[in-house]
Amino acid sequence: MKGIATMVVMIAVLILGSLVMVSCDSENGIQTITLPVDSDPTVAFRIWFKVGSQNDPQGKEGLAALTAALMTDGSTENRRYSEILEALYPMAAGYGASVDKEMTVITGRVHKDHLDTYLDLLTDAILHPAFLEEDFNRIKTNTLNFLEKTMRYSNDEMFGKETFYRMIFQGTPYGHPEAGLIESVRSITLDHVKQFYQTYFTRDNVITGVGGGYEKPLIQDLKNRLSALPPKVVPPVPPPDIRPLEGQHVTLVQKNTCSTAISFGFPIDVKRGDRDFYALWLANSWLGEHRNSSSHLYQVIRETRGLNYGDYSYIEVFPNGWARQFPPVNVARRRQIFEVWIRPVPNEAAHFSLRAAVREIQKLIDNGMSPEDFELTREFLKKYILHYAPTTSTRLGYKMDDHFYGIKDHLKTMEKTLDKLTLEEVNEAIRRHLQTENMAIVMITDNARKLSRALVNNTPSPLEYSTPKPPEVLEEDKEIAVYPLNIRAGNVTIIPADEMFLK
Amino acid sequence: MDMKIITGILTVAVLFSGLAAVRASGNGGIFPYAFEERVLDNGLKIVAIPMDSPGQVAYYSIVRTGSRDEYEPGHTGFAHFFEHMMFRGTETYPGPVYDQLVTKMGADANAYTSNDVTCYHLKFAAQDLEKVMELESDRFQNLSYSEQVFKTEAGAVYGEYLKGLSSPFSVLYEKLMDTAFDKHTYKHTTIGFGEDVKAMPTMYEYSKTFFDRYYRPENVILLIVGDIKPGKVFSLAGKYYGGWEKGYVPPQIPEEPEQKAERRAHVTFDGKTLPIMAVGYKGLAFDPESIPMAACMLAGDLIFGSTSDIYKKLVLDQQRVQFISADFGPSRDPGLMVVFAMIKDEGDISGVEKEIYRAIEKVQKNRVDEDRLNALKSNMKYSFLMGLDTPGNVAGRLARIIAMSGDIRALDRLYASLDQVTADDIQDAAKRFLVKDKRTVIILKGR
Repeated sequence: MKGIATMVVMIAVLILGSLVMVSCDSENGIQTITLPVDSDPTVAFRIWFKVGSQNDPQGKEGLAALTAALMTDGSTENRRYSEILEALYPMAAGYGASVDKEMTVITGRVHKDHLDTYLDLLTDAILHPAFLEEDFNRIKTNTLNFLEKTMRYSNDEMFGKETFYRMIFQGTPYGHPEAGLIESVRSITLDHVKQFYQTYFTRDNVITGVGGGYEKPLIQDLKNRLSALPPKVVPPVPPPDIRPLEGQHVTLVQKNTCSTAISFGFPIDVKRGDRDFYALWLANSWLGEHRNSSSHLYQVIRETRGLNYGDYSYIEVFPNGWARQFPPVNVARRRQIFEVWIRPVPNEAAHFSLRAAVREIQKLIDNGMSPEDFELTREFLKKYILHYAPTTSTRLGYKMDDHFYGIKDHLKTMEKTLDKLTLEEVNEAIRRHLQTENMAIVMITDNARKLSRALVNNTPSPLEYSTPKPPEVLEEDKEIAVYPLNIRAGNVTIIPADEMFLK
Repeated sequence: MDMKIITGILTVAVLFSGLAAVRASGNGGIFPYAFEERVLDNGLKIVAIPMDSPGQVAYYSIVRTGSRDEYEPGHTGFAHFFEHMMFRGTETYPGPVYDQLVTKMGADANAYTSNDVTCYHLKFAAQDLEKVMELESDRFQNLSYSEQVFKTEAGAVYGEYLKGLSSPFSVLYEKLMDTAFDKHTYKHTTIGFGEDVKAMPTMYEYSKTFFDRYYRPENVILLIVGDIKPGKVFSLAGKYYGGWEKGYVPPQIPEEPEQKAERRAHVTFDGKTLPIMAVGYKGLAFDPESIPMAACMLAGDLIFGSTSDIYKKLVLDQQRVQFISADFGPSRDPGLMVVFAMIKDEGDISGVEKEIYRAIEKVQKNRVDEDRLNALKSNMKYSFLMGLDTPGNVAGRLARIIAMSGDIRALDRLYASLDQVTADDIQDAAKRFLVKDKRTVIILKGR
């Protein structure tokens, strides 16, 4: 048996509303959200600038992401990038920028032992980015490689999701990947980056977040440093004005692949703080809890039929779902979508899988949740949300998102609302917000023309299993195989993979 | 690169999952928590680590079997397949009932498989400990599934295999292992050879044999971390696991003959990608007291990490590669220490390869700088300590080392060894292991 721990460990309380203090003030012109956790030996930073890919100028899509990356992955006026890497290395610390549609958050974490040195490096990156040509070329080349190759050829699921978001939001400031569009990124110059930085990285456009085991003076110190940013109010971008979907619209992306990745859904008018959000959250958890076998879609498509690796649904954006188990923070948006993610299925099962998923959603709308499923899901979520924010940094992220949405404490509200929700309320929310008539559907597939004909003609899509299945499954399959979709020929677009995200 | 999440330098230390090389002061070892251990009569070992984490518990069932144990031709991929089958239930708690109980608990339940381990992990509220132990002990002792269910799950696993084919890194790694190894089971990756995965539905009977051999108490370690009382944990373990019968049959893994000449192969990715190169060197089996092994572990980051000369030259200054990185982490049997590089210009592949060898030669000829070695040790210390923030993270960081060694004490022994490594040791390791005759070079290009 070992001796007593010498390292005080950070607290890992999950919902700590009663034990932590959250303050938000605007002294010094800079708003601050704090989350002191005395027992945490580390300090977490989230420096939020109210800018995102929605601020990319037309034709310069990707500018916000490039600018932020140059700040955190490049030299400053005081240090070469290689020197920054060397300085951070012994601390095992770092910082990076996360750019979403509406938020750019520079995040970092350091052990208290190194706080002073680290703070110098972090604030230097924010205040004095050098914007060197060599850093710009490196990051721009990496971005183009990501758009041209990685996204289109290394991860069909990401490719499908990005294509789906583009279908929904095309023509709005949300309508392109945060990384940008290929021709736009090619056209961005260092001058564009410098101008973007000057416009958006201002004292009036930043909210700082600090959490962990810091001493109180740190907050003032950070605010004093960041007050060197120029004062400038940034006009807000109006929320995306989405063209309403009429009918079921399909984009088939043609590429050489042995399996088909599917994403589909539609915009919803529900977001955190809305009364219906929590009811819909519960319903969606039953229908498609992310990467959890409790997901009903998972049960139908994967568990019963073995068609793929997983099937989930969402009422808030959930980027990089393949790499994370719980919802991300700091991807707050004013417009959200209901989204279904069908992980790759064999090409011959693509039509069937789409039908199966749409049919399950329609059944949920028609029949509502059963009292048993409602109670089980409520019980599940009461404890499952304890896993949402296990660390100081994540809880700090939630607090910042609360600020975005203008709500008090999302995690606590979720917990409290669960006790109050009724089955009727949930089923009403399902009927109010879910539907299957008007949807955007994306399939990354091999024989797009054949699939297009089958979709438009509602061609039966029976499955041939290589293994026996129970009679009740085969009976249900007969219904699924002819389940009518309502896809008109004019609503199907076929596009080669090479042509996606060009401009 | 995943543009959406993070650009930047959030995680500087990625070497062997952040394990630290420098001792935390005062208690004689790097690991800062007290732990208690019991071994039941049937050989099941339970490690309990109380931690200040109100209401939370992480429960790891570490099966010391991975794809390494798949030694029979035509049967690769079964360790990973079992990761799936273990969620199919027992006669007492059939799959849907198990799922429902876990759902009621709001547990975060999942599993993973690698070369050396299959690990089942749950995170849940402390009040559910006994129920979790009842459920977990039941499925480890009494797993039961029909042939029909088996075949359905085989379809899901094949789907996972197909999903992997869309990544050039999976294609590259599969070719690397297949080329580098002749006899040893590291020849195949965890998912298994494609033809074996496809044929899985026909192997129901074999699947029961696999379970019978490896899912035995002598081959499993329970690691339970969080808001727990060890006495209570051991008492519950005795109650629920005490009747589990011994019967572990060790795998007959062929020894890999010594590699005596460089191996090279090319592979094509059915899509577009920048060329990717993997240079793998045969290494040593995991031995926490081996200074040469510890020196190899450190050498990867010293030669190819973000503060290395080659990183500065190829990534930052000349920008000839999109990335270069090294994975020199150990494995239970002698495995591969691999350098990966994504090259921007196809015409520069051999140029980058030469740069990799030059970087190694430099360390073979000249001792590494002491300051850099110390910076690496500091990096690992803080990376380790900063990573111990939740019961799940503590258990996750320990699981691999426990799987390789069978003993949590190996952690302190390993870090004592790492702490002792000198610049001379690094130089010796580079001369002994990072040599032409022991290397395998794979070059992947897109279409």
